[in-house]
Amino acid sequence: MRRRSFLIALSGLAFGARAADPLLDPVTKGAPVTRGRVKLEMPLLADNGNSVSMRVSVESPMSEADHVRAIHLISERNPEARMASFHLGPRAGSAEITSRVRLAGSQRVVALAEMSDGSFWMDSANVVVTLSACVDELGG
Amino acid sequence: MTTRREFLKGSAAGGLAFGFHLPAAYAQNVAPEVNAWVVVRPDDTVIIRYARSEMGQGSMTSAAQLVAEELECDWSKVRVEYADTNAQVRRKRVWGDMAAVGSRTIRQSQETLRKAGAGAREMLIAAAAQGWDVPAPECTASNGVITHGPSGRKTSFGKVAGEAAKLAPPKDVALKDPKDWKIAGKPIKRVDIPDIVTGRIRYGIDAQLPGMVYAAIAQCPVFGGKLKSADAAKIEGRRGVIKVLPMEDSVAVVADNWWRAKEALKELPIEWNFGGNESASSESILQFLRDGLDDASNVVVARREGELEQGLAGAAKVLEAEYFTPYLAHATLEPMGCTAVVKEGRVDVWTSTQNAEASHATAAASAGAPLENVYVHRVQLGGGFGRRGGSQDFVRQGVQIAKAIAGTPVKLLWTREEDTQHDFYRPLSLVRMKAGLDQSGNPVAWYSRISAPSIISTLLKLPLKEGVDPQAVASFADQPYAIPNVRIEYAQRNPHVPVGFWRTVGHSQNPFMRESFVDELARAAGKDPYEYRRGLLPAATKEYGVLEATAKAAGWAEPLPAGVHRGIAVTEGYGSYVAAVAELAVNDKNVVDIKRLVLGIDSGHVVNPDNVLAQMQGSAVFMLTAMFWGDITVKDGRVEQSNFHDYRMMRLREMPKVEVVLAPSGGFWGGIGEPGQAAIAPAVCNALFAATGKRVRSLPLKNHGFEIA
Repeated sequence: MRRRSFLIALSGLAFGARAADPLLDPVTKGAPVTRGRVKLEMPLLADNGNSVSMRVSVESPMSEADHVRAIHLISERNPEARMASFHLGPRAGSAEITSRVRLAGSQRVVALAEMSDGSFWMDSANVVVTLSACVDELGG
Repeated sequence: MTTRREFLKGSAAGGLAFGFHLPAAYAQNVAPEVNAWVVVRPDDTVIIRYARSEMGQGSMTSAAQLVAEELECDWSKVRVEYADTNAQVRRKRVWGDMAAVGSRTIRQSQETLRKAGAGAREMLIAAAAQGWDVPAPECTASNGVITHGPSGRKTSFGKVAGEAAKLAPPKDVALKDPKDWKIAGKPIKRVDIPDIVTGRIRYGIDAQLPGMVYAAIAQCPVFGGKLKSADAAKIEGRRGVIKVLPMEDSVAVVADNWWRAKEALKELPIEWNFGGNESASSESILQFLRDGLDDASNVVVARREGELEQGLAGAAKVLEAEYFTPYLAHATLEPMGCTAVVKEGRVDVWTSTQNAEASHATAAASAGAPLENVYVHRVQLGGGFGRRGGSQDFVRQGVQIAKAIAGTPVKLLWTREEDTQHDFYRPLSLVRMKAGLDQSGNPVAWYSRISAPSIISTLLKLPLKEGVDPQAVASFADQPYAIPNVRIEYAQRNPHVPVGFWRTVGHSQNPFMRESFVDELARAAGKDPYEYRRGLLPAATKEYGVLEATAKAAGWAEPLPAGVHRGIAVTEGYGSYVAAVAELAVNDKNVVDIKRLVLGIDSGHVVNPDNVLAQMQGSAVFMLTAMFWGDITVKDGRVEQSNFHDYRMMRLREMPKVEVVLAPSGGFWGGIGEPGQAAIAPAVCNALFAATGKRVRSLPLKNHGFEIA
């Protein structure tokens, strides 16, 4: 998927409605995704994409009847779009994950929560990797 | 007669305003901000903000010229001021990229800067028109004065700036054709020079704060090693010593002055865990790269055209050669360092950086503070050359130390030895080339295998597109010659020595190899190396144009005095096109007397011709230094060189005459800070061949017994 079409797809997500999205579909199997309940915290700036702090929390009672089944981290630009999947259950107590991730350059990262009722919720964050590369290309 | 005072006053025009004020004052700047780039004071002083860094490359001036050009202000009233990184974070990165790297300040920002100037001009005109109650299109701006055409009324930028700042920025503004430029395109003096000459300039190393303490650092001499232990008790109680701070791969000593910190550190018993690289040497590293020339595995193709094997099989003559370039250190005059205070959740940093925003991000991460609480105070750099961009190791250390003695400002300063031995070096590179010539001597097949580390994957940790590091194969993968069968291969081989961006990066070494080998082909074909290249370059290429302009200026066709010989080379780099002609004589003791170096550049547009000239001259100093002496070698896993006695710089008397040919063909924006170096080494080595019959296939020249006159 091209970056532009992904961004368009993401901007669609902001309004709750979405067309089929090849980036999220492997996880959602085409189910609707709503923005909300998930909070993804990443720094606006990271000096090096090798290790960027990340914190995801999902509003959930984490009970047997209503809990977060999984949290997926999806990257717009990494060679492996599905960066990580965390599988949770009611015994996790709270749906919160703190970690560090590797980012292949500036991009938007999506945190996708899969609930026990089968619904999907999301948040996204823009991270600028301040690459100071004396490279020839002007991209990035 | 101009008095000294008047001169100083006069030379301050178009000057540099140092941001010694507190960043907090920034948001409530008393002078109206027309937009993020332009502030106009009531006294008509125009402050143009500059987002990137200034390390002698001159873009602080050139960038301001582009803004001023469209703004139609009075250049003598311009002050250039750094954009603040804290405001950058709070204002959603309003100034965009802050990195001064990749020769891209102008080529990447020119449109933004010109539009900022034009947008501010339109707002100032609109404010004046509003005040006069006349249509804005009836008003014009020139030299900081707005005139209402029909009535002849005039006002100045300073008088209407307050009102202009309240207006919405125009959606679209037309930009001038460069042929109509009055400020841009002119050899305007650099705004920071008066302060450099008078000693008023402040570099990172000059940071001085009340109650400041000092830190010296020792890093694991073997790359990749870690600190095992440091027996702090041995130096505690020494005069002035405040703290011994063990870190992951280094240890710092903090004292009341830097000398005491450094001397105490020398006495500190330190044990390292070398991590397995302690037996690596230049020989083992070279062998590792050599394996990359012969291995069939882990090799990727960077460019493929035609059928190489067929081309070689059908050739009348096949030439083969191996070329080598060594690791190089940046050796900035100002060593790495960082002054920081971590106090009550706020982090203040003073450091010479090529990317203040990256320093900001690093400081926040190291202190564990939110980005909004970090302030990176802008200073000039005592040399950058790529060392102070891609890696912010010095900021990480400085803030970590400051955090450990929270509340007290601490200045971390590396020794020259630490700096030389803990660089991110220009990668070494071993290249095998093969070419097949037809009956008339023209190449019908070209093969290169580059065995070299990848900066992109090891330093930036970015994935490589199809396994190719574009810098490692630069000027091979994009070579401009018309050759039907080409294959360029890349064998990524990463020894344990950290590599980074060294001014001109891949173009600092690959054109030496490519253009020297083209010279070999020309000699084998029995042809003049200039005419040979002209014959192979399509006439529409920019390389063809700059080669011709440079050869003409150098008088290539003219006879030379007895004993003087010439060499020539051409290449692309950083969006510009460069060519070089070297004239030299070599005596029987291998002393090289460079009589003349003619450097040509086509950068498309030229924003400041005097600065282009200076960058080309500076490139000659930098590259001649590297090609004669630059050689970082490894023994027992560590770098052998330590200071200027064994990592030599060129001396004033050794510097040859440099003539610069500006050959801008317009229509594009090429880089300036780096491309100047690219064609120098091959031109000089090709002239050395002409003079001596010796083909230099590895650098530096000192290893071949050559000295400079």
